Amino acid sequence: MMTIASSNTITVKERPVTTLEQQPTKTEGRKDPWGVLLEKVGKHQDRAAYHALFEHFAPQIKYYAISNGLASHAEELVQEVFVSIWRRSCLYDWRKAAASTWIFTIARNQRIDMLRKMQRTSAEMAVETEDLWQIPGDNEDEPVTSLHRLMSERRIRESLSQLPEEQITVIAKVYMEHKSHQMVADELNIPLGTVKSRVRLALNKLKVILQDQNV
Amino acid sequence: MTRHHPDSLSLMEYSAGNLSEPHALCIRLHLEQCPHCRSRVDTLNSLGAVMMDHQPKVTVADSSFDQLMARIDSSPQASSPVVPQPKVSPLQKLLGDDINALPWKRQLADVSVLDITDKFPGQNERVVLQKLVAGGKAPAHTHRGDETTIVLQGAFADQKGVFNQWDFVVLNEQDEHRPVAVGCEDCITLSVLSAPLKLTGTFTRLLNPFLR
Repeated sequence: MMTIASSNTITVKERPVTTLEQQPTKTEGRKDPWGVLLEKVGKHQDRAAYHALFEHFAPQIKYYAISNGLASHAEELVQEVFVSIWRRSCLYDWRKAAASTWIFTIARNQRIDMLRKMQRTSAEMAVETEDLWQIPGDNEDEPVTSLHRLMSERRIRESLSQLPEEQITVIAKVYMEHKSHQMVADELNIPLGTVKSRVRLALNKLKVILQDQNV
Repeated sequence: MTRHHPDSLSLMEYSAGNLSEPHALCIRLHLEQCPHCRSRVDTLNSLGAVMMDHQPKVTVADSSFDQLMARIDSSPQASSPVVPQPKVSPLQKLLGDDINALPWKRQLADVSVLDITDKFPGQNERVVLQKLVAGGKAPAHTHRGDETTIVLQGAFADQKGVFNQWDFVVLNEQDEHRPVAVGCEDCITLSVLSAPLKLTGTFTRLLNPFLR
């Protein structure tokens, strides 16, 4: 039997992926309201739905840009993210990701794209951002675990309120400020091990690493 | 079936979009083949969405939405729907159809390498493909700095276990091993070396993590 290869590698058991076919009807009621709006944009180019999404998500994305050090490009990032939402909404599949999760991945990718373009010309890019960071539902032909995916966002939202502030702070810096665990440790002036253990504690609570062993 | 996976912290940095391109590539290649880790990344992406919602909001400029609609109405580039592309692995985009046919440089009887760092301009890491011929052995060695490796073809074994195709492993200076290519195929791995460029003095050794 295999053991862990290093502290950075874990050994886990494969778990069967729940397929949509096994959950034929129960998932229908789990469509989130933002997902409904996204579908309207995707199917009918519905401008009222698009405007409602903009009102809700644009201020989040603007803060995301600013906290990532893109203050002078914050409006530009909002525009790029929403152009991408408009163009991709036809591919959005509510069974593959909650709308806010899908929009987060688009914001993340546009942020990465913007930084890549600032650093070099596109001619030099052998792989595109989306080859490395996938948007849920793109080119994805696997069976869907819709219930799990939608539930996980709801569960995270509920669990987050129970986490100590110090854990939320660390996670926020990783997600919102584009900081590695090492950079977070340097900034907070605490050991890297402390940062990692705070993240692990939080991810445990959020059940992200339930399946990790030997960590 | 993959048995060795990236840890949750690495997946979190991937989900947050904080990994370098070569590291993201290693994770991406693993995810393509590992439904378990895809599911973990889905959850982490949801964590990102919840964090974004949990943070302060900043009002956008009054004209922002009108500008957006004007752009969509006037520019086909901004309004045309994205068409799903046929699925092409990033590995294929980078290296073509046959990784066995690349211009490998033989270093030892059993070991060949190919440095592909130049595919990732502006990165501080070295990106190296390694090939251990079927049944071949690499000499015992340790590692300098963190070395992230994913198995692209075949399998290798050391005292820690067997690493099959798409298995993911991170080695550092504590890990001394003597890998052997098992199975009937040459074992090809992709490694990202965090070792800084100051090590270029020991060029051969840097190029070949199997030997360090």
